[in-house]
Amino acid sequence: MTAAKPILLAEDNPRDAELALAAMEEEHISDKVVLCHDGAEVLDYLYCRGQFKSRLKGNPAVVFLDLKMPKVNGLEVLRTIKSDISLRPIPVVMLTSSREEKDLAESYALGANAYVVKPVEFHQFLTAVKELGTFWGVINEPPPEGSASTN
Amino acid sequence: MRFRELTIERRILAGFSLVFIGILIIGAVSYRNTAILIENSRLDTKSHDLLQLLTNVDEAMDEAENNHRRYLVTGEVVYLKSFRSLTEQKPTYLKYLKELTAGLPLQENRVATLQNLIEQQINAETGAIAKRDKGGFEAVRRIALEGAAKREITAIHRIIGEMEVDERQSVRRRFSESTLSTTNTIVLLALGALLQLVLLASVYYLIRHDITARRKVATELQLRGELLEAANKELEAFSYSVSHDLRAPLRHIDGYASLLSKSAGDSLNDKAKRYLQTISDSAKQMGQLIDDLLVFSRMGRQEMLHTTVNLDQLIKTILYDLRLDLQGREISWTIDTLPEVPGDPAMLRQVFVNLISNALKFTGTRPIAKIAIGLEKKGAGEIIVFVRDNGVGFDMQYLGKLFGVFQRLHRADEFEGTGIGLANVRRIVHRHGGRVWAEGVPDQGATFFVALPTRRPRT
Repeated sequence: MTAAKPILLAEDNPRDAELALAAMEEEHISDKVVLCHDGAEVLDYLYCRGQFKSRLKGNPAVVFLDLKMPKVNGLEVLRTIKSDISLRPIPVVMLTSSREEKDLAESYALGANAYVVKPVEFHQFLTAVKELGTFWGVINEPPPEGSASTN
Repeated sequence: MRFRELTIERRILAGFSLVFIGILIIGAVSYRNTAILIENSRLDTKSHDLLQLLTNVDEAMDEAENNHRRYLVTGEVVYLKSFRSLTEQKPTYLKYLKELTAGLPLQENRVATLQNLIEQQINAETGAIAKRDKGGFEAVRRIALEGAAKREITAIHRIIGEMEVDERQSVRRRFSESTLSTTNTIVLLALGALLQLVLLASVYYLIRHDITARRKVATELQLRGELLEAANKELEAFSYSVSHDLRAPLRHIDGYASLLSKSAGDSLNDKAKRYLQTISDSAKQMGQLIDDLLVFSRMGRQEMLHTTVNLDQLIKTILYDLRLDLQGREISWTIDTLPEVPGDPAMLRQVFVNLISNALKFTGTRPIAKIAIGLEKKGAGEIIVFVRDNGVGFDMQYLGKLFGVFQRLHRADEFEGTGIGLANVRRIVHRHGGRVWAEGVPDQGATFFVALPTRRPRT
């Protein structure tokens, strides 16, 4: 059951997305990755609407969020997730180029579970994405379905 | 226009000095004129007294002469009364006459003549009275008709008349003098007041003009300061976001080059593999440049921590952290005891990490590197720390470029680096209110100096 939970990757840059997927592939977890191209798609997925209307019910194992995204940006998505009682348990990892103190502080204040700065060097990026994918998608035990929505 | 060249302070001082001098002159002239008026009025009183006295004397002489003649004719004793009274009054008259004409030589002379004449008249009359008493009317018949002192009394009339004319002339002269003086005073006061008013108005205009100009400059300065600050902030934000957005494509270049070399690795020849490696290396190098630029940009924006930094401890920690880089190097260290300074520990650490790393880097070609860290003789209110090495040094003609951003004095294949270290050093030291400079001789070594204030800067 756990292994079946998808990893939601929100990344507007197709190249970054492809590189991330290439990294995940090395760990054989790329088939679990659902790619969203902006914040609105992330919310559509989480609320099972739009193109994700007919998807299998259930929350993802983790959401990797870029900060700078078109339509709805990462911080807004984070705010929505953490203020919705049924979505709040989903682990959210900020995956961004920004090392700005302001962004860091705001993300944690909104309830981000982790904050990772994308390394410039590809090999470091590769390692980071692999480790993140493995940890959050495989090693970490996600919250049980409906853990917060019983009420 | 000499006046135009004077500073505003001097102009105002000159204006007020003129006003002050004007007041002094008006005061002095008014005082003198008033003194003249008072003196003239005193002299006038004296003149009036003299005129009155002269009239009295004249009448007394006349009466004495007339009554003594009556006595000579009638022998009635009652007529001798005014003669006797004159004899008694004579010293008093003379005394007052002398007093009232004192200081006037012409009148004094006349009084002397008058005195003689009066005495002659009295003597003549006394003689006539004595003759009448001895020889009766017949003895003085001829004298009684003419009077004993006809000649004298005429002379007395003439002299008293002269004196009166003279005194009246004096009074008239003084009157016109007083009138003129009063008119002068009034004119002077009016003109003076007008002049003072004009002067004060000009001084007021000067001060006002100056204040307006100063206020304008202050407003301008404030505006410029605000603009500069805004521009600075914008520039920082710009440089940050540029460095930021530059990172993504670099990651892609490096990433795709790696992916390519992995997926096509076996089919590539060595040349193609080297090309791919160069692409990756260049992307990494640019990544390093951008990272350094980000650090530099952050150094300018970051809030400074105001605490005390123990430089001794700081250097020790840095050397400990660099120990891995020192492996395989032969280095002779000379490190003085350093004091504490006010400042931001992380920032000052960056300064000395950069300086010591540079010293290590540029002594890399020396069999034995000599690095000295010490305290230059203390300046007033600041300490000067130096870092000296026996490395490749630099030509003093490039001194101006040494602390610039991305300025390098050595080829990339000689010594690695992005050329931002010393720019950071300068920026941090400036933020601490200090100075940096360097001395170098090509191929002999370089010394870098950091002067830090011993008191916290105000901003």
